[in-house]
This record gives sequence, structure tokens and C-alpha cells, in this order.
Amino acid sequence: MAHREVLSPPGKRVIMLGNVAIARGFLEAGLQFAAAYPGTPSTEIVEALSTAAKLLGGKPYVEWSVNEKVALEAALGAAIAGARSMAAMKHVGLNVAADPFFSSAYLGVDGALVVVSADDPWMWSSQNEQDNRWYGLHAYIPVVEPTGPQDAKEAAKLALLYSEKYKRPFILRTTTRIAHTRVPVDTGEIPVDRLEPRGEFHKDPSRWTLVPQYARRKRVELLEFWDKISVELASFPLNGTEGSGSLAIVGVGLGYRYAREAARILGVEDDVTVYKIATSVPFPRPMAEKILGHDTVLVVEEGDPVAEIQLKTIAQEEGLRARILGKRDNLLPRYGELGLEKVVNALSKLVGKEPPKWAVDPPTSVEEKLPPRPPVLCPGCPYRGFFYALRRAVNKLRLKPVYSGDIGCYSLGVLPPFHVQDTIIEMGGSIGAGNGFAHVLRGDSDITIAIIGDSTFFHSGITPLLNAVYNNAPLLVIVLDNHTTAMTGHQPHPGTGIRAIGEPGYAMSIESVARGVGVGKVLVADPFDVKDSEAKLLEALRYVKEEKKPAVLIAKGACILVALRAAYRRGIKPVIYRVNIDKCTGCGICYTVFNCPAILRREDRKAEIDPALCTGCGVCAQICPFNAFEPVSELNPEWFKIMRTAKPEQ
Amino acid sequence: MQKDALNIVVTGVGGQGQITLARVIAEAALIRGINAIVAETHGLSQRGGTVIVHVRLGNADAPLIPPGAAHVLLSMELIEAARYSHYLARDSIAVVNDYLVPPPLPGIKVPSTDELVSTIKERAGSLVIIPATQKALETGDVRVANMMLLGAAIEAGAFRDYIDMSSAEKAIQSVLGKAARQNIAALHNGAELARKAIKQ
Repeated sequence: MAHREVLSPPGKRVIMLGNVAIARGFLEAGLQFAAAYPGTPSTEIVEALSTAAKLLGGKPYVEWSVNEKVALEAALGAAIAGARSMAAMKHVGLNVAADPFFSSAYLGVDGALVVVSADDPWMWSSQNEQDNRWYGLHAYIPVVEPTGPQDAKEAAKLALLYSEKYKRPFILRTTTRIAHTRVPVDTGEIPVDRLEPRGEFHKDPSRWTLVPQYARRKRVELLEFWDKISVELASFPLNGTEGSGSLAIVGVGLGYRYAREAARILGVEDDVTVYKIATSVPFPRPMAEKILGHDTVLVVEEGDPVAEIQLKTIAQEEGLRARILGKRDNLLPRYGELGLEKVVNALSKLVGKEPPKWAVDPPTSVEEKLPPRPPVLCPGCPYRGFFYALRRAVNKLRLKPVYSGDIGCYSLGVLPPFHVQDTIIEMGGSIGAGNGFAHVLRGDSDITIAIIGDSTFFHSGITPLLNAVYNNAPLLVIVLDNHTTAMTGHQPHPGTGIRAIGEPGYAMSIESVARGVGVGKVLVADPFDVKDSEAKLLEALRYVKEEKKPAVLIAKGACILVALRAAYRRGIKPVIYRVNIDKCTGCGICYTVFNCPAILRREDRKAEIDPALCTGCGVCAQICPFNAFEPVSELNPEWFKIMRTAKPEQ
Repeated sequence: MQKDALNIVVTGVGGQGQITLARVIAEAALIRGINAIVAETHGLSQRGGTVIVHVRLGNADAPLIPPGAAHVLLSMELIEAARYSHYLARDSIAVVNDYLVPPPLPGIKVPSTDELVSTIKERAGSLVIIPATQKALETGDVRVANMMLLGAAIEAGAFRDYIDMSSAEKAIQSVLGKAARQNIAALHNGAELARKAIKQ
């Protein structure tokens, strides 16, 4: 069970990941219902809540939902029925959940509803950089931001309490450096009895249905709420003022930590007033008026200039002439993450102080002299052998494929030597966009191949597959089924038959789903068996070309990391492989075309295996034309079974 | 009153245990009443990619260490040590595992150990290199190499008076639980390796 520290006794100081601290904050506020789809950097919140629920006998209710829309709808339903609820997602997850999100602002709740949006500036593990505080402005839903991992727990707690008080949804917006930063956290009491997931629904169509006659009234009420909360958020406990200098620094969310430390580094604490803002949307009006009393205002915030633009609007409305600086004027960069060097530099220009050398003239990186090290498929990943077979099959049939890609570990297939991700758009986009490719790429050798993972398939692959059958789009859909949501750290999904807190659930079969929506050709391949994979791929590709109909091929093999863990637990040590140097001819297929990170190229071009990296998957032995790979000792058939079937343990 | 910030950059290849190493450092500091902030890399980059973890002890607010401001670089791998060597300040120390993992991209040029070491030396005030992975493989569990690096760094004085062997041992107990014994052994092995390396 991950993140057990979430249940540390009260009155302790415990190091917690920001996301675990957020989970703790929700528990301390009496959370009853939690739903999420995993996504970096949000995942550990519900992982930690799952652990808590498991240890507390199902309190609160916690689930991995199939996607963010369902997670938010489920949390909203529970909140309408009076429960204190939350739904967590990465920033782009809120795009998926946007529909119920906008409605939730009109509806309000009877319990509480916090939508956690974990934004990922500089796209460490995301397809875009998206500041979801705009969603707050757009939907009229207030945004709470921890002012650093240091108060993430309090921010989560307060967001839930404020939502309960106002009976309106709130956003808790974090960013990577809050979510994935560990700091000491002071634990408070968890009211275990209040976590019981129990609600009551009070029928009232005028409250809970958004037909025009009610929605119109609600629109007006929402705007009234917005004006009221803009004033009342000024007293939000995490907002505050430090110092009394003439220059105003508005430290919004994590920006506060950078602002405070930058002032300290420059030794200008007495020359500035730091305004600490944990409620960036709507910007608390009484605080704005104080801030705008300064001649010069520097706004430090992670993401877009959301607070800055609101301050400028208020200044215009109030006829105040403060000079408001930040990102609009590029004093701070408009992309990427904040950094001390950036904030120290910006501030030094305003206070006329010499910044430390590292801020103005940092040592240059030697990056360009070094080989890049992008993330790659792990040694033993079932996808490697399968991609190898895929390229062989496509070449054999002389096809010109478009690989319509998706979000997951297999996105790494974009890299050489695989090149099996020609487009990567969003969750489910492989099959969705594949519908379009398939109808317009009509040449004899053209073929559309959508590649999607199991968790992504359940998330948003089923509807576009249904569309492909309905509109008869001739494409091959490959579902890479490693029995887990691997990229985010091995959460279960509907295909695994395991629920968030480890209870058994119904194990949804991808084959049955595909057959159920009417796919005429559904095949299952063993990705650890290159010959089997190639044979099934040839059969499926021929079907699509000849019948001009969609086909589905499911490649089933466990994520090697899950399999290794399962093996260790059962006391089974996978037997690794070595190279028989006499047999190796130095042809290089293994380290170039197959490209396993555990296989290294020696000076003489021959291969060697790094025993620290080899997982014992044995696929190299299948692809070597000279049988040069051999196990270091007798093989254990149990391991090969685990490799194919292991599922994450919760 | 907290001590001035001590900035430690921990790097390596995804999967080598950088996060655990950083967690143990933070826990050891907390045991001694010293504040700690650890900014990690999760998700996509973990899959065998380059990893940097920022650890700040003492009086620190912000999570990230700017280039040129790190007092310590701990690296589980040579290329990654070089890649992040510009994070080091002038009077800094680098403690590096003598282990090179060529990125598995076909046809790339991999620098030699000597080239990498001289790059790191240009940036670091002092450099200690220990064969942590090799030694860990000899003991039968490659996963403890990170604790060897920690032991070496403590022995080399990288952490000044912020953490010591005794707080590191307690931190390992608390972070690694059942696996503590072999990891504490690795910590001491690492210290021994550093003593040898420094003598040479």
C-alpha cells in the first residue's frame, strides 16, 4: 500500500509528498467520497486516499473512475446527495470533465465538492501547458491554490470546508512542484466517523435540474455569488500580508515561496510588502485594492498571468494607476516553471540590487555535448517485442502505415528505432483521429493503425471504436494490454478486476467490448512471443485491407515492473540472459532494431548484457538470428507465466 | 532559526533509486530538526529517462535549485552527473557513482568515462567517485547502490553538519522499513568506498 504516512497520528511532523498532504487535508476536513482517473501530477492524491480507505474499512469511499468526466460526475452526484466529495485529475483531465464541471457551478451541492486540477507547467509528463485557473474564471468556480507544498494540506482542508459552507464547487489548483514536492507536514485530527460515505437526496427539480426555466435563475444567482465571494475570500486563512515596504510583490500560489525567498536572497525584505494569495480566482477584491495602493506591483505566479490580468482589470475599474508587472511584459517568462533565478532577476531590476552571480550569469549546461536520454520503454517491456513484430508485419505486406498514437507508455514508441506513433493528441485520440485517417487515406498500400493502451481504451477508446464500426472506418486498432495504468504508477482499471481499495471487481474483457460493439475481427496476441505477434498482426492487417472494415488486436502481457514485483513477492528470481560471444556476429539487430536498454554495444560491435538492467524477459533470444543470447542458468517457467498475467496489487 | 539552505541535486537514470535517496536525506534532516524540501520527477521521465531531484535543507522556501547554486551533486550515473554539473556552485562537491549507462538510442555517440569525469571536475570544487553499482551487484542487490552513494557523500563531508551517519541510519529505518538492514549495510559500504577513493 502506497503512502501509508497519510494516516500518521495527529500532532506529528511527517514528511509527505504534496499530493499525500492534500489527501491528508481532505481526510482532516471529513471527506466522504473521492473519485479520480490517474494522471501526472495528480495521481498520488487518490492513491493515498485508497490506502486510507483500505485501512479505515471503506471510509471514505474511494474509486478509480474510468475517466475524469465520470469521476467528476460521480463526485458531483455524491455531493448533491449531501456528501463531502472530491474529484482529482491532471489539468487536461478537466478538459474531459468540462461538461459536468460547468453544470456543477449552476447546480451547487448539498455537501461539498472540490475538483483538484494538477497543472503541469513545462509539460514534464503532459501534452500541453495549461493553466486551469482560467476554468475557474470561465465557469465561475473559485480557485484555491496552496502557496507551496508547505500548506497543501491546509489548502485542501479549507477548500473542502469553504465548499461545504457556500454549497458551491471549488477548484483546488496545484502544479507539479506542489504535487511532487515532499515537505514536513504537521498532522491534525482525522474525524474518522465523519468519513462514512452516507448521503441523503432531497428531491427538488428547481435545484437539481438545468432546464431553461431554472438555469436562467441560476445564472443570475451564480453571478451574485461571484460578487459576494470576491469580497469574502479576502479573509481566507491562507491569504496574508508580510512586511510593509513600498514595493508590492503578489505571491500567488507557489509564486509566494519564490517571492519570499527572492526578497531574502536580495536582502530587501524591508523594502517590499509580500501579499500571499491562496485564492487566485476570483482575486479577492479588498486585497486587490490594498495592493493597488502601491506604486509598483510585481505579480509572481506559476502559469498564465491569471492574477495579473484580474489585478489590471480591477485597477482599471477603480481608476488606480499602479504599475502592475509580471508576465504580460515578460519580466517573468510566460512559459515553463518559475525558478528562483527568474524571480530574483525580476525583483532585482525593481529594487536596484545586484543579484547573485548564479541569477545573472549561471554556468552553461554541457547538454549539447552529451547524448540525450529521453524516457524509453523499460528493459522487458512487452511493447518492445510487439513493436518489433509490428514493423516486420507492416514491411512484409509492403504497407504504408499511419500510426495514430495515444497517451501512455507506448507514446515512447515515437522514438527511434520504433517510430510507431505518428500522431499523439490526447486520451483516446488514436482511435478517434484514426476514424479520419481511415476515410481519407485511400491508397492501395495505405493503412491506419491506431495504438492505444488498456487503461486509455477504457478511458475514451470505446466510443471512437463504436464510431469506427458504425461508420465502417477501415483501421486496425491495437490495444496494448499490460493489465494496469502503467505510466502513472500502476493503478488498476476496469480490465483488471481490482478496485481502488483492493476489493475484487468485475474484470471487463476488452475482447468482449470489441465484439460487443460489432468489430468483425478480434484477435489476441502474446507480445512476449514475437512470432505469435507477427502472425496475428499479418492476419489482422490483411483483414482490414481485404474486408475494408475495422479490426481489433489485443496484445496481452504484464507491465514488466508489475511482473518483477509479483515475482519478488513470491520468491521467484527471474533468470537473466547473457551473450555467447562466440555466437554473436555483431550484426547489431538486438541493440539497434530491437533496442533493449539492457543490451549494450561493445567496442567490437558485439552485444553484451548489463546484468543490472536485464529483467529476464527472454525476447532477445527470439530475435537474435544467431541464437547468441542464453539464460545464465536454468529457466523458471513460473516467471514466464507471471510475466504474462501479473496485475498490480493494491 | 534554521541553518542557511544547503542545496543538493540528486541525479541519475530513472529507476536507479534517486527518489528514495532524496527521501532518506530529507528524513535524516528532519530527525535532526532541520527543514527539508524535496522536488521530484515523476511520470513519463521515470521510464529510463534522465532524472533530477532537488533537495533543499535548512532555510529554504522554493522547491527548485537554480543552476549554479547547488552545494552538492549526487549522481547515480556519469552522463547524468555531467548533464547537471552546471547546477554546481564554485565551492561545491560532487559524489558520483562510477557507472555509465549509454542511452539506448541507435547510433548515438557516447562519451568516455574520462571525458565525463573531466567535465564534472571542471564544475565541481571536489569530486569523489565510487563504484557503487559494481559493489552493489557484488552484494547481490543492485538496488542498494543509492545508499552506498549516500554513505560515501556523508563520509566525504558533503552534508556538512546537516545530516550524519546516525541520522541517515534512522532515516533508512523509517523510509525503507523491512529493507533497512541491507540498506544500512550499503550505507557503511559506501562510506568505506569513499575512504578508499579519497585516499587515492
